[in-house]
Amino acid sequence: MTTSAVIPSREQAAPSTSGFVQRYAQTILVYVCFAIFVVIVCAPFYFVFVSSIMPSTELFEMPPRYWPSTPTLDSYARMIDSVPFFTYYRNSLIFATGSSALSVVAASMAAYALARIKFPGSNIVYLALILSVALPQIAVLVPMFETLKTFKMISTHHGLIILMSSLVLPYTIMTLVSFIKQVPAEVEEAAYIDGATTWQIILRVVLPLIRPALFTMFLINFIISWNELLYPLVFAHNVDTKTLSVGLTELTDPGSTYTKPWDMMSALSILMIIPVLMIILLGQRLIIAGLSRGAIK
Amino acid sequence: MSTLSRTPARKSFKGLTFRQRTYVVAVILLIPALALRVFTAFYPFVQTAYLSLHRFNPAFDGATGPVFVGLGNFQRIANDPVVRASIGFTLTFVVVATFLQITLGLAVAHLLDAPFRFRGLSRTLVLVPWAIPMVIVALGFRWMFDDQFGMIPDLLRHVGLEMKWLINPTNAKIAVISVAVWKSTPFVALVLLAGLQGISQDLYEAARVDGANWFTSLRYITIPMVMPIIITTSMFMVVWQLAVFDLPFLMTGGGPGFSTTVIAQKIYLESNSLNYGYAASIGMVLVAIVAIVGAIGLYLFRRFDVSE
Repeated sequence: MTTSAVIPSREQAAPSTSGFVQRYAQTILVYVCFAIFVVIVCAPFYFVFVSSIMPSTELFEMPPRYWPSTPTLDSYARMIDSVPFFTYYRNSLIFATGSSALSVVAASMAAYALARIKFPGSNIVYLALILSVALPQIAVLVPMFETLKTFKMISTHHGLIILMSSLVLPYTIMTLVSFIKQVPAEVEEAAYIDGATTWQIILRVVLPLIRPALFTMFLINFIISWNELLYPLVFAHNVDTKTLSVGLTELTDPGSTYTKPWDMMSALSILMIIPVLMIILLGQRLIIAGLSRGAIK
Repeated sequence: MSTLSRTPARKSFKGLTFRQRTYVVAVILLIPALALRVFTAFYPFVQTAYLSLHRFNPAFDGATGPVFVGLGNFQRIANDPVVRASIGFTLTFVVVATFLQITLGLAVAHLLDAPFRFRGLSRTLVLVPWAIPMVIVALGFRWMFDDQFGMIPDLLRHVGLEMKWLINPTNAKIAVISVAVWKSTPFVALVLLAGLQGISQDLYEAARVDGANWFTSLRYITIPMVMPIIITTSMFMVVWQLAVFDLPFLMTGGGPGFSTTVIAQKIYLESNSLNYGYAASIGMVLVAIVAIVGAIGLYLFRRFDVSE
């Protein structure tokens, strides 16, 4: 009989000699798996980081180097000279903050209505909102472009924010509905009996209760928007609205491997990853809860 | 005790019954979300359906507007080798990637659930691939797979595998799919982890008493218990990855040849060449594929849910 790490055994079997050996083997197996996991997850990050601090002469050596002879921040300096890095950074911040804020506000309002108010057709509205997540953004790109042109929203922050917040909306609504349903309805009923209006109930009772959920969705949507490429690529045409992700593709354009400035691209990548890493370090628990919530429900 | 009728909201809707007032609240609350979705999804979708039946290239048809061509665009799709190749690769990509993401995701979920010292750390690390921008992942791996200067071919050379990656059609496909697996397995693992945590430990205890080994426990307890989540997650990953764009676009540019061109990239290329009508009709094909796959997924989910 072999138990192994595959079975999540929180309580161990009764101690015996064979049990001890078994448990020992099991622990080793878990640590080996963990080591493999760490290497696979971190290797790309390591390679990008090393490329960013490598002198460009050493970057194109065969076989490749795994650590520079003299680490340098030279490629960061050159990258900042060749793209309007700080403007793009600011644009990315506006885009990501705006999109996640708008999506959380709109989604929390809709989610409350869908979770708590029974009205004719509420199921149909819910389904339409949720199923529209399956509509590929790229399939409707052309009319979207025409519409945005009509409303003079090409290359504007608010145009991009509207598009992006709408993209993450279905998922955000779905998650928030399941969070709101968790809040016992008795709390609201009590407030109601005490004479609170619907608006007061929403603002003073429900909102404080689901604040962690709102914060979670804000973080998740911030990361998704920060990473978004397609919308800024297609709808942002000037320096004042292009985001970092577009800046990264601009560095690569055009040409073959030889002319691609991998050192500068790596430098930009590292600087672009930092805020995201900080968010997942600080908000790990919240983000995991938020990500798994949508699918479980 | 304050009476309900004294509150301001009641006065402003004096003529309405309580039920009607809540309907008004519901509608007001739904307006922003619905407006956003109508503006960026439903309306553009109707427009796409319309355009797909027309020839419209602003460079040539700018004066006349869209010209009705019936199903002409779809006939052209049927004979377009690039579209057919892109549908083929998209489906291969989605099926293989999703299968691996679910399988490996279940394994990673077990690691994240195992009681050991670095459990917290492992749960932070698992977020890294999910959180790193796809742009960076795609370009970074392109660099790492580079035949001359890349680390991956070099490391493989040390274990005796001499391979060219991005200039060989088959290997380029494998490379693109592996990167998708690297990027999204952690997300799947997190969702499955929540599923694992929902399984009562008593089941495993009982099975162990009955002499079950880890494989039988996995086969007869874990997998059946998380099956609904596996189906939902697979469905989500399939539908989401059918529209994959940035990964192959940035990692291989769709090449070599058209071997890693996906449907989304074909749409992007046609829109960029201002073939708006044709791009829209390929968009409709993509929507149709998504709808069919989604319907199959819903059917599976419902059938499974009933049998529970």
